[in-house]
Amino acid sequence: MEILQNMDNILKAGLEQIEATKTVEELQDVRRELTGKKSPLSEVSKSMGSLDAEARKQVGMKISEIKTTFETKLNEKEAALIASKSVLDEPLDLTLPGTKINGGALHPITQMCYDLNDAFASLGFEVYSEDDISSEKYAFDNLNFAADHPARQSMDTYWIEGTEDKAGTERLCLRPHLTGGSVRYLLKHGAPARFVYPGRVYRNETTDARHERAFFQYEALIVDKNISFSSGMVMIQTILEKVFGRKINVRMREGFFPFTEPGYEIDMECLVCGGKGCKVCNHNGWIEVMPGGVIHPNVLKSANLDPNKWTGFYINIGLDRLVMMRYGVDDVRLFHSGDLRFLNQFK
Amino acid sequence: MKLSLNWIKKYIDLPDYITSKQIAYDLTLRTVEVESVENTAEKFHDIVVGKILEIKAHPNADALRICIVDIGLNEPVQIVCGGSNLYEGEMVVVSKPGAEVVWHGEGEPVVIKETKMRGEYSYGMICGAEEVFLDKLFPPENDHAIVDLKGVDCKPGDNIADVIEMNDTVIEIDNKSLTNRPDLWGHYGIARELSCIYNVPLKELDKVEIDSTLPKYNVEILEPTKCQRYVGVEIENVYEKESPMWMKAALINGGMRPINAIVDITNYVMLAVGQPTHAFDRTHVKGEKIVVRNAKQGEQLLLLDDNCIALTEDDLVISDTESALALAGIRGGKKDSILPETTGVLLEVANFTAKTIRKTGKRFDEKTDSSIRYEKNIDTERVDLGRDMALMLFKELFPESKVVKYNDVYPVKTEREKIDVEQEFLDVRLGKVIPKETIEKVLTSVGYDVSFQDGVYHVTVPVWRSTGDVSLKDDVMGDIARLLSFESFEAKPLPVNFEHAVHQNTALLERRLREYLAYRCGMNEIFTYPWIEDKYIYAAKIDVTKSIKLATPPSPESAILRSSLVPGMLEAISKNLRYMTNFKMFEMAQVFEKGEYHPSSEEETLPVHKKYLTGSVVGKDAKAIFYEAKGIIENMAEYTHMEGLHFVKGERPTWADVNAYLDIMRGETKVGTLSLVSVQTMMDSKIKRTNVAVFELDFGLLVPFASRTNEFEHLPVLPLVEKDLSLLVDESTTWADIHSTIKAKVKEVEFIEEYRGNQIPEGKKSIVLRLRLSNDDGMLTSEQINSKVDSIVKSLNNRFGITVRAE
Repeated sequence: MEILQNMDNILKAGLEQIEATKTVEELQDVRRELTGKKSPLSEVSKSMGSLDAEARKQVGMKISEIKTTFETKLNEKEAALIASKSVLDEPLDLTLPGTKINGGALHPITQMCYDLNDAFASLGFEVYSEDDISSEKYAFDNLNFAADHPARQSMDTYWIEGTEDKAGTERLCLRPHLTGGSVRYLLKHGAPARFVYPGRVYRNETTDARHERAFFQYEALIVDKNISFSSGMVMIQTILEKVFGRKINVRMREGFFPFTEPGYEIDMECLVCGGKGCKVCNHNGWIEVMPGGVIHPNVLKSANLDPNKWTGFYINIGLDRLVMMRYGVDDVRLFHSGDLRFLNQFK
Repeated sequence: MKLSLNWIKKYIDLPDYITSKQIAYDLTLRTVEVESVENTAEKFHDIVVGKILEIKAHPNADALRICIVDIGLNEPVQIVCGGSNLYEGEMVVVSKPGAEVVWHGEGEPVVIKETKMRGEYSYGMICGAEEVFLDKLFPPENDHAIVDLKGVDCKPGDNIADVIEMNDTVIEIDNKSLTNRPDLWGHYGIARELSCIYNVPLKELDKVEIDSTLPKYNVEILEPTKCQRYVGVEIENVYEKESPMWMKAALINGGMRPINAIVDITNYVMLAVGQPTHAFDRTHVKGEKIVVRNAKQGEQLLLLDDNCIALTEDDLVISDTESALALAGIRGGKKDSILPETTGVLLEVANFTAKTIRKTGKRFDEKTDSSIRYEKNIDTERVDLGRDMALMLFKELFPESKVVKYNDVYPVKTEREKIDVEQEFLDVRLGKVIPKETIEKVLTSVGYDVSFQDGVYHVTVPVWRSTGDVSLKDDVMGDIARLLSFESFEAKPLPVNFEHAVHQNTALLERRLREYLAYRCGMNEIFTYPWIEDKYIYAAKIDVTKSIKLATPPSPESAILRSSLVPGMLEAISKNLRYMTNFKMFEMAQVFEKGEYHPSSEEETLPVHKKYLTGSVVGKDAKAIFYEAKGIIENMAEYTHMEGLHFVKGERPTWADVNAYLDIMRGETKVGTLSLVSVQTMMDSKIKRTNVAVFELDFGLLVPFASRTNEFEHLPVLPLVEKDLSLLVDESTTWADIHSTIKAKVKEVEFIEEYRGNQIPEGKKSIVLRLRLSNDDGMLTSEQINSKVDSIVKSLNNRFGITVRAE
């Protein structure tokens, strides 16, 4: 039958057309051409009236069969085209860098300080801060410094003009250490107490890569009844674990400070050589990181606390040095340089 | 301080298995910080004694000689040498191949090799003193002199270290770690600590019986509070000569230079027991009388270097009947030196108090081996140790010497401290119970006397630690803890204390602010010094009449302490501009000004302290950076959970541009300023080709919320209708004018942009804004929307002549 032969051609041509389609939009057109009202198939069905019943039935079935085939193939093609479609209309260089985030940063000292604050907060310590200028009474007298202690000289401490020749509460200085703040806090809040007091301290020094006139300390103090100095070890381990992310070997050794009895120096195992001895640790395997000690009874008395009832201990850590160790910074003066090339390294 | 291990071993017998490294470790942990340990023989390897057998001329060099030298090998060797003092038969120091010497005493050591010098073979090197670390023992006569071992007991081939008794270990101690220990400033004191650590007995020092029938040397102490004891011993038949090698070696390893036998004895005693002593030529003491007195105002003392110092009434001097001989306990004058014609000395063994020595030492900026010991407060009984050891040494070095006069004036005696220490106190504070026997043994071994009764240790402190070092039971506890080693106490958990959570709003706000600026606003935190180079203060035109100053500032131009963080910020900006163009920084720190402030007690008055937070935005487009800085402040309160901030036009900050400045307000309170930095201020602070927006906030005036205060609002049921308007506005009309006209009529109004340009007539600007409209009753029809917009445009037109721009 000529008409059936013709329909086979329509099918073949239609399938080829579908196959050749490149885009989803093109496929829409093809769909209209093959299955729409003006499609060849539609023409065939219009011409069916001239056929006999048997032929009409045969042609009708064939039309429906081809339509189904077209639908299936069109849908398959559409799915395939969508699957391979890209949002891009031009080539993409996957190796180009991503867009930069222009974020700022906290100072590495602040970062370290906050890390430590978090660790001590988990042990129930408050954060306290004393003012930068203090009197000799709070900076030295209260802390059991001898009246002629060398640190009181202007070679060591920055005295405020006009007060340098006075004494006690009338002689003012940029605080040479944080420890004076301990008595201020205890006078205000009493005991028991546990608090940290980070801050900047000032010494009249010649500066070089290892010495600064303004530097940061972090001091922690606990005052309570009936506690042993060996509990101080916990505070030390807390700090070092927080900073270095793992347990660090420490040792306590004899040290002398006017405001402690006994006082100790705390060394940590040298992280560069693992304690074997290297240039960094002066070949002895240990690095001095912080002093500490039991509060001297005279200091407790300055804070109006009875030394027979209360005791406690300090630790004091140099933040600059700790940050230098954390990142391998080799010049302490960079911390006060305001140099963004340095500060941008610590996002 | 340097310690010779050989010397220490004179006072204790250390077991062989204890290495010098172990000693250093144990001392560091329990007593003093050891800085280094040095084997003194090491540097003398391959350096031996040689005997010059024959000297020949060098064919190619006038200044050189060819020496045939016996160095203990089978055959003599040939060495070329340029020494100025060569002679046949001379005993010299020879560096063999492999030895390390320092050329002319300078630079890194060099390894000696067999070589040819000007064509002649040379096996090694005949050395000068400085080349082989011998300049203290054999001070060279000139630059070309080699060491002449004449008179030294040695033979060819002997290692030099053996000859000069340098087979020793030197332990160097950090002086800072023994400031509180007057007993440790000598070998005997350190030996005592080691005797406790290693549980070996400390040997008693030899005592000398003083003949009570000796005539008295005339000594008068006029200041017994400054000089608590003075022993004067006149010794005759002593003279200037060299000390024996063992004493020279000991002094060198103890850090001193041998001088002559008399001076060396006094130094040796000081290094042994920590008691300074002094020997005067007896003929220099006029009137045969020593007076210990305050100097007269303006009295002069002639020093060895012929310099004169002017004394005051505060200075204690040792004087004869005519004039001052020495600054007591610090240094001698020219008059007291030992000379070649000396035949007898007056030996001084005295006690001076720390306070007087420190005061005078400070005035003359003078620290000597003697004064640093007196400054630690030595007990008066130490005089006995010093005197006895000195007399023993005089007898040994000058067997013909004789004590002819003696006196011991002893007005003030150091009393031993007595302290009661409860057993319970020790148990609690040490954190573990130490057996009574252990405590008694430890304390006794370092000189305490201990008795135990009814739970209390009655402790008598050794006299050498009774001058302030040990006075409280805490001191005794500290001694026990360190001598048992802190390492032997395990870490104990902190006691639990769960009364309340730590809740500190101000501390938390400070942190939120820093984190907001760094992480949300992209700023870098900086720290600058509190003392500011004054050119930046003047650039910012800050009034310094209320500023605080340092008495001895880091530099003359950095004496003023900051009253604002702006000058420091300007400095940081000008420095960073060398490397970058667009950046944002902030700093939070205290500033100071004159005033009255009592943080802890009424009697203490401090200057006023404020904590400021200052930020800067740096970039070329002045408008853009101004609005960026403004946005940082506008959003600050919402992001950091504190009471809100707004702006009003206020007084111009001294550093601000004539047109761009605002006060930052919290309610009715001014808390800071926001501004562009003026052209003048930028010029004066060397900020070029850019612009700076700066804000400064007084942190103390910001009020944190105790918790987050966000409020939930129901989501709109119907979508908002957005409508953009592009307006043509007179330059004189502000956004605030437009905003206040519109805001009541719409749900929201948002500023989109401001524009000036070709299409905009002179004197006008274009403002684009976005309206958001809604109607709670139902969906807005387009007629309703148009009528609302029309009414808004009409009222803008009525009030400010604003028109809608034609698209």
